[in-house]
Amino acid sequence: MATDTDTAPAPATTDVDHDHHPAHLEHHFVSSEQQFDSAKLGMWLFLITEVLLFSGMFVAYAVYRQWHPEAFAEASTTLNTMLGTINTIVLLTSSLTVALSIHYIQVDKVKKCVYSLLATIALAGGFMVIKYFEYTAKFEHGVYPGGLFEPHGPKYEYLAQIPYVPQFFSIYFVMTGIHGAHVVIGMAVIAWVAYRAWQGGFSSEYYTPVELTGLYWHLVDIVWIFLFPMLYLI
Amino acid sequence: MSDDGHHVLPKATLFKVFGGLIVLTILTVAVAYVPLGPLTVPVAIGIATAKATLVVLFFMALYYDNPVNALTFTIGIIMVLVFITFTMFDTAFRGDLGNVTPQTVQEIEREQKEAQEQMDQLSPEDLRVAPADYPDRQGAGDGGSGGN
Repeated sequence: MATDTDTAPAPATTDVDHDHHPAHLEHHFVSSEQQFDSAKLGMWLFLITEVLLFSGMFVAYAVYRQWHPEAFAEASTTLNTMLGTINTIVLLTSSLTVALSIHYIQVDKVKKCVYSLLATIALAGGFMVIKYFEYTAKFEHGVYPGGLFEPHGPKYEYLAQIPYVPQFFSIYFVMTGIHGAHVVIGMAVIAWVAYRAWQGGFSSEYYTPVELTGLYWHLVDIVWIFLFPMLYLI
Repeated sequence: MSDDGHHVLPKATLFKVFGGLIVLTILTVAVAYVPLGPLTVPVAIGIATAKATLVVLFFMALYYDNPVNALTFTIGIIMVLVFITFTMFDTAFRGDLGNVTPQTVQEIEREQKEAQEQMDQLSPEDLRVAPADYPDRQGAGDGGSGGN
């Protein structure tokens, strides 16, 4: 047009590295750097709320364990230590793969990033499968949480005589159940991030969702790192 | 232009940390079969804390990160420790105050000493108990511990 009213979009007032306006950069941030840092801080704040969520249950466990140590020690012998150890190694490996996926996207290896994320989902699925077998083994013998606790079978029926054993199993099912829910949510989020990565949505310049998802997944792993010895071993 | 402010997680570090975590896991299970008595719980929590520290520092890259994130995390952990410590201060010592009497410990001891001195002054004759000393009861005569 002949007129020169300014119809050109106002350039983003960022530093000289970003002459264009990167698609991911929100207008209220000065730079990608600041946006990434604030996203990370927000994620850490959320992770602390998750830590406090689980710590409420850990405190319940600590209180009841201190009140009834023999009942808790006895009940914990009925949990399968080998399956618990395998689950721990599975989750630790999934933490490794999700950290690797972040490394790969940081060096622009998108396909390897996606494969690492898919490996994480597979390992998480393995964790849930093992948990399924653990739970059904308990349910088959009448070991339910709370008031439904009616143990039968040679390995479990002696538990009915020990007071406060049902409390152990209530805590066990609630803690591993809420942890399992976090695993499933994590699987869904990682799947979505993997899909976006596959579609080319991330690069070494912008990989914030991968980073934040990784942080969440590591927290899920840390919770299990504490759950495993407390419920299965001691 | 790629951001040069972000520290790229070195792959070798990740694998080394993973190796350390597996070793600590084996240690966790091995230690569980060693009878440690009162040390069982602290050792188990200590090893778990070491594993969690490795994950937080390196897998979550807090070691390389902006210190604000580390501060946030540390304060959160301090809050958890306060939570569990003060709760256990209460629950672990319940009932300890249920044995309180109006007299102080000194008074109780003095009363006991006086009662003992009085007992010492009595002769065996005085201490012999006769059936007449028992309070009147319907079913008196069936041996067994008396008492209300």
